[in-house]
Amino acid sequence: MKKENLNTNYGITWCPGCPNYLILESVKQALSNFKHEELCMVTDIGCHGKTFDYLNISGIYGLHGRALPTALGVTLGNPNLNVLAFMGDGALYSEGIGHFIHAGRFNPNLTLIVHDNQSFSLTTGQATPTSQTGFKTKANYPELGEFNNPFNPIRIALASNVSFIARCNARDIKHTAEIIEKAINHRGFSYVEIIQDCIIFNPEMNNKDKMMYKVEDNSDKKIAEKLADEWDYNSKAGKIPLGVLYQEKKSILTDKWPQLSKLENKGVGWVKR
Amino acid sequence: MKLNILIGGKAGQGINKISEIVSEVLISYGYFTFNYRDYPSLIRGGHNFNILCFSDKRIGSIESKLDFIIAMDENTVNEHKKNLKKDGIIIDYKKFESLGRNLNIALSGALMKVLGFEEDVLLKIIQKEFNNEESILAAKKGYDSQERKFNLVKLKNQVKILSGSQAVSMGAINSKMDLFIAYPMTPATGLLHELASKQVESGHMVFQSENEVGAINQALGASFTGAKTMVGTSGGGYDLMTEGLSFQGMSEIPLVLYLCSRPGPGTGLPTYTMQNDLDIALRGGHGEAPRIVIAPGDPIECIEKTNEAFCLSEEFNCLSIILSDKHLAESEFSSDRKPNKILSVKVKRAVPGKGVVKATSYEHDKFGNTTEDAEIARVSADNRIAKYKKMKDYCKKFEMIKIFGNKNSKNLIIGWGSTKTVILDAIEGENFKFLQVIYMKPLSNEIKKEMLKAKNVILVEQNVTGQLGRLIREKTGLKIDKRILKYDGRPFTQDELKKELLKNIK
Repeated sequence: MKKENLNTNYGITWCPGCPNYLILESVKQALSNFKHEELCMVTDIGCHGKTFDYLNISGIYGLHGRALPTALGVTLGNPNLNVLAFMGDGALYSEGIGHFIHAGRFNPNLTLIVHDNQSFSLTTGQATPTSQTGFKTKANYPELGEFNNPFNPIRIALASNVSFIARCNARDIKHTAEIIEKAINHRGFSYVEIIQDCIIFNPEMNNKDKMMYKVEDNSDKKIAEKLADEWDYNSKAGKIPLGVLYQEKKSILTDKWPQLSKLENKGVGWVKR
Repeated sequence: MKLNILIGGKAGQGINKISEIVSEVLISYGYFTFNYRDYPSLIRGGHNFNILCFSDKRIGSIESKLDFIIAMDENTVNEHKKNLKKDGIIIDYKKFESLGRNLNIALSGALMKVLGFEEDVLLKIIQKEFNNEESILAAKKGYDSQERKFNLVKLKNQVKILSGSQAVSMGAINSKMDLFIAYPMTPATGLLHELASKQVESGHMVFQSENEVGAINQALGASFTGAKTMVGTSGGGYDLMTEGLSFQGMSEIPLVLYLCSRPGPGTGLPTYTMQNDLDIALRGGHGEAPRIVIAPGDPIECIEKTNEAFCLSEEFNCLSIILSDKHLAESEFSSDRKPNKILSVKVKRAVPGKGVVKATSYEHDKFGNTTEDAEIARVSADNRIAKYKKMKDYCKKFEMIKIFGNKNSKNLIIGWGSTKTVILDAIEGENFKFLQVIYMKPLSNEIKKEMLKAKNVILVEQNVTGQLGRLIREKTGLKIDKRILKYDGRPFTQDELKKELLKNIK
């Protein structure tokens, strides 16, 4: 297969040394195995969202917290596109958490890639639902820091019956690329949580590589629950399992609608029905 | 000949069936009907009523005084007796208490006898609707309980009954809409139900989203791929959608939105009517971007204007809002007018699947790349406004306003939306000209000309502050001092409106 050129001429404005560069490279490696014109991305608002300008594929630069419903809409409009949604931990777990739970229920055929750096960074460092307790931000009283405990997004994904749940380390480009490729090839809603550092705003949580280890692809829900509980996002204690933490085959949104199945079989979107 | 029939009972007793059966027979005889539905927000019990008004002439409203009360319970009689005309008739449940759930059929039969229909006309429709022995016996029992008081002759009119919800659904299907996405909210839900029930035959798809925020973003994602997409909601859901409307303005992804109002603010009166959302339809969403707002005044216009909304959205990659309300959406209107020829809606834009296509909520250059450049920002804003000028010119080929009544009259009534048909009924035989505003954005230049020709200008609206009046003042500099505003959630009745209108020209 001819390798597609996914680069753009757009100047990258991420901070020097940001793991977003590594995630972008993993995405490009994964996407090189798919037909360029069949790809469609939806990016959210936040540092990760700039991916929109750095990838030469079709897409929508959506609203904060809404990349997931917008991407679901793309699958409703044309079930033959390979749809990717890029979101940050602030966008998905705070503003867009409701959409996440329902995406588990709808099971649309799309891949969600989460850049989880445990902070709102483009807004200059506030706590997200995965930030650690005590995180010092400008939105807290300086001496007190963040009061709340983080939630465990892998647990939420399991409870929402998400059909493909994976976690990666941004620094491991090759492994992340492999997982993203598996996620795209999974028929259904694929959720890829990428753990990355924010070297500017939340250095306390940086450098977790030593906690991380890779697991075999898993499709047992009980094991998945155990894996999910190995790290609570709140400290640098515990272990962080990486890889496909859970995968199950089940009918997808397109299968439930004769109208969409028809489009899928014909290989077209509504515009050509 | 005009009769005003109130049919009341508890929610769940089947009062709508009586309206339906009697209306169907009346239109088959060439009579015009109008059915108003009044119900509180509950599922069983309480007090619901319909007022079915029919006439040998076109009609689109009810009167405050009743010729009949059809009572399925005692409460109906107690509530409405005060509005019964001197020679009015009450037909109540008492003789039929043993019939249980067939009470509504017996009362339909009783009413049909009083109106003078032959028994076989009644039995034919009951057979068609229910086809069981019990129902037929109930209809007969009702029929035999009354004496004939009227004798309705067959007329030549070809009349059809439609609610606003059904009509918007027809307009969408005529436009070959692909996707309808919504979250349930009264009174917009009627359209959701209509389109859902027709989706497999007509080939479109109806998706019930997790909430209105989901719905609007899903709709934009779907439309981006070339699907002709519509969302539907009422005021509160619209509030949630406004971030998406703003997103539409920047990304220029075509979208049609159905906004069906009910009285606010807040949860307000969920099952009643009001025209209090014109302001948010015109301006809801941050930033400045062009859009279309169209307010049809009856179901036939709902069919036509929904079709125009789809055309405009695709022609200009813009947002088109169809603005309706509970009264228009849920009342059953009758008409002998055929809708205009269907306009074909063409998707001409580039869509993903072939080449790179980008749409964005950020300010962007012509390739869709994000920019914060001052010059590009200025030019893009100018382009959006220049597009609005083109949209305004294009809309001139549609009926943006309509003029009714005495064309030479100096007494000019201005109204919009669901008040259209009651205004027409109220000015019958009186010296008024009625200007119906259909396109709220863009607003027709003809409105100012008509206002300058008139001696008395009277604004009729169902809201507290006269939102159309304010819009007209903004666009024309002309203030309308004479205002008839109603905001109790109930529609105008023709006689009361007439009285108010005449007061304003004395």
